[in-house]
Amino acid sequence: MTANGWAQIAVYSVALLALTKPMGVYMVKVYDGSMGWLRPVERLLYRMGGIDAEQDQHWTAYTAAMLLFSAASMLLTYVALRLQHVLPFNPQQFPAVVDRQAFETAASFTTNTDWQSYAGESTLSYFSQMSQLAFHNFASAAAGMAVAVALARGIARRSAGRLGNFWSDLVRGTLYILLPLSFVVALVHVQQGGIQNLMPYVDVHTLEGARQTIAMGPVASQEAIKEIGTNGGGFFNANSAHGFENPTPLTNFLQLLEIFLISAGLTWTFGHMVKKQAHGWALWATMYVMFLTGVTTAYWAEARGNPIHAARGIDVVASATQSGGNMEGKEVRFGIANSALYATVTTDASCGCVNSMHDSFTPIGGMVPLINMQLGELIFGGVGAGLYGMLMMVLLTVFIAGLMVGRTPEYLGKKVESREVRMVMLYVLVFPLVILALTGLSVVLPAGLKGLNNAGPHGLTEILYAFTSTPANNGSAFAGLTGTTYYYNTLFGFATLIGRFAMQVPLLAAAGFLAEKRIAPESAGTFPVTTPLFVVLLISVIVIVGALTFFPAWSLGPIVEHLLMQSGRLF
Amino acid sequence: MMDVLYLVGTLVFFGLMLAYVRACEGLGHDADRGEERTP
Repeated sequence: MTANGWAQIAVYSVALLALTKPMGVYMVKVYDGSMGWLRPVERLLYRMGGIDAEQDQHWTAYTAAMLLFSAASMLLTYVALRLQHVLPFNPQQFPAVVDRQAFETAASFTTNTDWQSYAGESTLSYFSQMSQLAFHNFASAAAGMAVAVALARGIARRSAGRLGNFWSDLVRGTLYILLPLSFVVALVHVQQGGIQNLMPYVDVHTLEGARQTIAMGPVASQEAIKEIGTNGGGFFNANSAHGFENPTPLTNFLQLLEIFLISAGLTWTFGHMVKKQAHGWALWATMYVMFLTGVTTAYWAEARGNPIHAARGIDVVASATQSGGNMEGKEVRFGIANSALYATVTTDASCGCVNSMHDSFTPIGGMVPLINMQLGELIFGGVGAGLYGMLMMVLLTVFIAGLMVGRTPEYLGKKVESREVRMVMLYVLVFPLVILALTGLSVVLPAGLKGLNNAGPHGLTEILYAFTSTPANNGSAFAGLTGTTYYYNTLFGFATLIGRFAMQVPLLAAAGFLAEKRIAPESAGTFPVTTPLFVVLLISVIVIVGALTFFPAWSLGPIVEHLLMQSGRLF
Repeated sequence: MMDVLYLVGTLVFFGLMLAYVRACEGLGHDADRGEERTP
């Protein structure tokens, strides 16, 4: 580890802190309807869709609207991918996307996952990228933010189970937040050397005389929403390790900020909505402590490197002329600190874009992204998804704290009773059930083992990572697993759908139930949710829930691999 | 053939999610009435 590396992590932290309040204030105005500089466009969209934006929807109607919108847009994408060979903007004349990959891709982008079992530059036309994937990058992010705001409303007000209007939340999130931010960021990317064109691919002759095809495309515009919407799907297979997607250290730094920007701001927005700003900052602090723990561990593990290299006389010490540590699968221009930081940020959030290959990390370094996802991606998290995931853990924490002191649990003046806790438990249990059941199935079925390229604990980690990344709606790949089979494409597609919607339904139900309750004034028995004690208890609950559920899998995968590496064995 | 299976599978999944909404609403009402305590 170097002072320079730590300085970059510190600068990133300060920048994130500085941007939290401005972003939060802006989003308050967007979602309370007072932001109106695009009002004519907004009204036009409502008129075209026949939407009554003033209608306050019951949680069941809000959830049904979200589900139907997602179903319709997913089916449209499936059809468009299957017909891409007859649709325009296909200069490389790519054939139709095969059925299993079209299903997986449609499900993956609808759910904000962006798991990709294809290489974009050799599979998808510009039309498919621009009209389908980019659309979902905006819509799925806006839908996630809408769900978070709906939950915040359920906690903040008494409204007979009504949570707002899904359609206006979707439109406002897209129009006022995602589109303007993406426009500005895309211009910065172009200025920094990212490309934005509709040209056919370019054939060049290299200095060695070989012929090389350089893929082109509308990259910068998709790059912006890829990070801002925590989508993560790369235009190219190499994702943010590709020079056209992430050309400079400045774009790398900006991408890291873009990933956390909205999620960090939403903690402030939430604090304002519930009229307890200190609680919003307590959530921010909880997320930051967990983020710092993750990045410190990953940076330490990668900077320490592989002891077998040192044992064989290789110089692995950082110096002015080399990074030292483990540089396998990392871009030299980003080095170890920025690779560890990027891997931590992208899996704290549900982004999934990568600037290094996680499969090449040391066992402990690779375990950090895995744990980040398995804790529920609530460390700032996906846009909207991070906040609502954290709030579900807060409800669980308040419930446990209430049991410990023998009082009826209460959160921000609302009693947390059995029906809310039932919904929280449904939310909490679906996630590990999908991960562990599908991983277990795949390590015993021939179809699952067929795609595995590494043996031993590393192979188990590869399967576990894939079945974590998909229901967590992260989309980053550990690699080493050939996922282009009917077995994996189909299971990954359904895993993304279950991980998104089977968790959002009970969450919105809990929001609706809370919205039916009256808000009682705080009393001496109210558990404080603004103190360091609350932060510690919340972190403990998150870690205990995650650790109890996944520790056996970690011990059979990355932990045993780490111990075997110490004794000189690699996989 | 596979196209039909994937499209039907998608529709069935979202149909199940809509049923899940009703089930969650029902669970909430049961709990509200204290029926979960009925042996």
